Amino acid sequence: MAASPRIIVVGGGLAGLSSVIKIAEAGGTVYLFSIVPVKRSNSVCAQGGINAAKDLKGEGDSVLKHFDDTVYGGDFLANQTPVKNMTAQGPAIIDLLDRMGVPFNRTPEGLLDFRRFGGTLYQRTAFAGATTGQQLLYALDEQVRRHESEGKVTKYEGWEFLSAVLDDNGVCRGIVAMNLRTMETRTFPADAIIICTGGNGAIFGKSTNSVVCTGSAQSALYQQGAFYANGEFIQVHPTAIPGEDKLRLMSESARGEGGRVWVPRDRNDKRVARSIPEADRYYFLEERYPKYGNLVPRDIATREIFKIVYEDNMGIDGQPMVYLDLTHLPKERLHKLEGILEIYEKFVGDDPREVPMKIFPGVHYTMGGLWVDFNQQTNIPGVFAAGEADYSIHGANRLGANSLLYCIYGGFVAGPQALNYAKALKPATGDGGHAAELQRQNEKNKQLTSSSGTENPFKIWRELGETMTKHATIVRYNAGLDEADAKIVELLHRYKNINLSDKSQWANTSFAFTRQLYNMLELGRVIVRGARLRDESRGAHYKPEFPNRNDEQFLKTTKAAFVDGAPSITYEDVDTSHIKPRPRVYSST
Amino acid sequence: MATVAPPVPSATSPQRGVQPLRAGQGNSFLWRKLHSLSGIIPIGAFLVEHIISNFETWNGPLAYAKQVVFLNSLPLVRVLEWAFIFIPLAFHALYGVFIAFRGRSNVNVYPWAGNWMYLSQRVTGLIALAYIVQHVWRQRFSGVMLPEHPGAAFAKVQHELSNPWMLAIYVIAMIATTWHFSYGIWLFAAKWGITPGNRARKRFGYVCAALGIALCLMGLASIYAVVYKYPNAPENVLPETPAALVQPAAATPAASLTRSLTVTPLTTQSQPRSTPQS
Amino acid sequence: MPRTIKVEIKRQSNPDAPVVTEKFEIPYRPNMNITSLLGEIACNPITADGKTTAPIAYDSNCLEEICGSCAMLINGKARMACSALVDKLQAGNPDEPITLAPLSKFPVVRDLSVDRSVLFQNLKAVKAWVPIDGTYDLGAAPRQFPQIQEERYPLSNCISCTICMEVCPQFNDSTNFVGAATIAQVKLFNMDPAGSVLKEERLRALAGDGGVQECGFAQNCVEACPKQLPLTEAISDVTREVIVQQVKDFFTR
Repeated sequence: MAASPRIIVVGGGLAGLSSVIKIAEAGGTVYLFSIVPVKRSNSVCAQGGINAAKDLKGEGDSVLKHFDDTVYGGDFLANQTPVKNMTAQGPAIIDLLDRMGVPFNRTPEGLLDFRRFGGTLYQRTAFAGATTGQQLLYALDEQVRRHESEGKVTKYEGWEFLSAVLDDNGVCRGIVAMNLRTMETRTFPADAIIICTGGNGAIFGKSTNSVVCTGSAQSALYQQGAFYANGEFIQVHPTAIPGEDKLRLMSESARGEGGRVWVPRDRNDKRVARSIPEADRYYFLEERYPKYGNLVPRDIATREIFKIVYEDNMGIDGQPMVYLDLTHLPKERLHKLEGILEIYEKFVGDDPREVPMKIFPGVHYTMGGLWVDFNQQTNIPGVFAAGEADYSIHGANRLGANSLLYCIYGGFVAGPQALNYAKALKPATGDGGHAAELQRQNEKNKQLTSSSGTENPFKIWRELGETMTKHATIVRYNAGLDEADAKIVELLHRYKNINLSDKSQWANTSFAFTRQLYNMLELGRVIVRGARLRDESRGAHYKPEFPNRNDEQFLKTTKAAFVDGAPSITYEDVDTSHIKPRPRVYSST
Repeated sequence: MATVAPPVPSATSPQRGVQPLRAGQGNSFLWRKLHSLSGIIPIGAFLVEHIISNFETWNGPLAYAKQVVFLNSLPLVRVLEWAFIFIPLAFHALYGVFIAFRGRSNVNVYPWAGNWMYLSQRVTGLIALAYIVQHVWRQRFSGVMLPEHPGAAFAKVQHELSNPWMLAIYVIAMIATTWHFSYGIWLFAAKWGITPGNRARKRFGYVCAALGIALCLMGLASIYAVVYKYPNAPENVLPETPAALVQPAAATPAASLTRSLTVTPLTTQSQPRSTPQS
Repeated sequence: MPRTIKVEIKRQSNPDAPVVTEKFEIPYRPNMNITSLLGEIACNPITADGKTTAPIAYDSNCLEEICGSCAMLINGKARMACSALVDKLQAGNPDEPITLAPLSKFPVVRDLSVDRSVLFQNLKAVKAWVPIDGTYDLGAAPRQFPQIQEERYPLSNCISCTICMEVCPQFNDSTNFVGAATIAQVKLFNMDPAGSVLKEERLRALAGDGGVQECGFAQNCVEACPKQLPLTEAISDVTREVIVQQVKDFFTR
């Protein structure tokens, strides 16, 4: 063991940065790898807020209620112990962020302001306008920059993780990474690594995620023997702005501040939205879910919008869109949403203060991820994971504003745990597998640069996205899932015949993308296979053929292992030691 | 295990492009702020004084001569002139040229008002500099020495402006200088944090514009007075005093003191100010 | 023939390679933005005269103008590619080509991708952070009135896109001006109750060569900022404090 354990953190979003801070504070040596400058990580896209039961609104909120809402919202698929711990840490994490200088909105008395989010009846969400993720990421980025200037952290921005280095015993001894400018591939020794590489929205082509959210790192580890858990649970956010290149998120906070979702009662109503009188508007969420109204959990809101459009044929002008209306809100409320109103204004061209927004659900969040134990360690010794990249906490459906809390909580657990693990680690024999892994990666690179096929990687990606979006999002049918899997197998086959139009060895973005693409394809299969085998409906996973939850058979974590080049699915019991599973019904009053 | 230290990230290799802030190092802050301050005090103050004094030309050659006499009567006037005008002006000008040539104006791409004003401040500064060099040389250090012959001031300027090219130069320079000064005040207030808010800057902009226009009009009026209002002014409206005859040329403090004593009664006596004595 | 969008892109295969301009014609679709144009080229990297070329290298990530990656010169002007909509750019004359070029004040990495790390170095130089004791639970932060939050929040919206620096006539390699973004961050952290402990250090840092004094108040920063940060106000406020600090230091240090 080295005198000071050497930890590599992969990914510079909220989870990665928070684990870096914990390790630096504890005196560990930490190397932070990120594809983009960490300040540009996908966490900036989070908008609405971060949950913590501080009960500053006199509603009688408590940590246990937050715990229960989260487990219930996740349709009981989450292991309860980590959820309990996270919700208990919530208030302290908010205080910490406040101390770091996050410009949270305030009450007139100078206390933190809270808003209500989906899946709860309490105002539990602290927020900084409608750009909370950005503000939190910056606060952590600043702390890391401080540690960096004190020499405790070394950043490798512009380096992409390719794989873990495993020794003869399957213990992680470092990583192989590629410099995205010089295209140099090399290994970095480490006593433990933490994977905080976020979600995998890019597998679906268009999503609310950033370009880097390919799930490539998770997939690489899965192919190296890590379990990938609950892959089939993909959150489709009810309110996104359909776009040419991506779906832009329209935060749940829009509804938290009083936004209402509706369509004209008459599907042939051609009137301008604002001129349609109240009586002729169908506020379908409010009518169908009187208690939670527009703030039902996301999976439910998404399905309702989907049904309104495709089953009731009530989409605006026959298009897959419904209104998200903020025009009735007073100025002060709109002011708290400035950030997202600007996005709508810039990308659509209408002023959402004057005209109801037109929105439709979009792929948003990866509930599944690398399987981890309660110490955030994967089944590969020395490989830890935190944040959206792992599967814990959110179960079958994530509640709004729990992601930011979990990213920070997850990082705060993973960092110290990785350090503890590294301190007890025995030295590797030989070179710890570095040379062999480097050679394996270099061969992959060589294959790509020497391949002279005809397939354009970006076109393969497009086809993958179309297939995944069609068969593996809001509504899933077994026939469709089989079709999707066959399609991905076909794409994997075509991948062998790839043609890199750019073979240069400098800042070759399409080369890096093509490497990610392979991992996306493999992970796509995990999602599709997991969905195919789960013959029930739970949270975000909805099969009309099996409309009910089936606890007997499927109150279980899906674990995918990469066996003989294909996902092999096994199941594991869920920790339900605190709250007994009960039917999940939001429609009662 | 092979714990080879990872290579240092490429950030430390010699960096191209704009270099990072040299936190707390160097003296450019002091020089830059002195430049900014010197534009207001003393140079700006002197400019105001100069334009107000010149405005006496509106009242004719004698009034103007008396103003020249008055100014030359100030205690330690030569010291004042060097310490508060020439040296600061030279510094402001040279450092200003340095600043101007380090900027990369881009109004062609970003034709915004503030950006135009940025360019205008540099252009008017350079115009003013070129003008002032010739103006100081021709009016202060060559030809009839005005400190000794204040009565010749009006005529000296009038001869200068009889050349239409020179007249054009004076008019352009007047506009450029007052522009540079009034926007300079606005910039000073903005950059020293006196007018931080948009509204404050906007309001103060009106004040500065009004001041600039007033100064410019006064200056142009003075030019008008010299060229058209009092044509054919006498070469010297204040005939030399005996003291000057005894002590020619030498501009000792004693001599100027004597002169100021002799002219003081004149100032108080002259009732019909607008009537030039010829 | 269906309508196409003409695009001219300034390219450079590495920092030392010659600059060339390549022309593309891309089939028109409504509601495209510049990043989707570039994605289209990646799918079909063939120039207007039929030559196969490499996909364009450019930085992008969130595609919703919050990560700050995709700043470039579009029709000569610095702006974010994701929020530059083709229909708006071509309003009136759809045959006019759209020109793309890398930011001009930063070293080119490749094509439209530039190295903007100088901003992050500057943020380090001014200690743009709150020096908290630690991440363990130390209870609530001091109360802060909404008015303070209202003033801090807009400054905290800076996405580090460096457009304010690109458009600044004073930001260049002879002044080495720090740029508006960093100055705004100094104001942000000086306003934080705990962050203000480093106020004097930050103010002294900003009096160094390339500091606040280099601002020429052309106000391009505030015009061009995609997030509408009150940059000139921040420069005014911070410069005043730097001056006061310098005067204080002159008499006491």
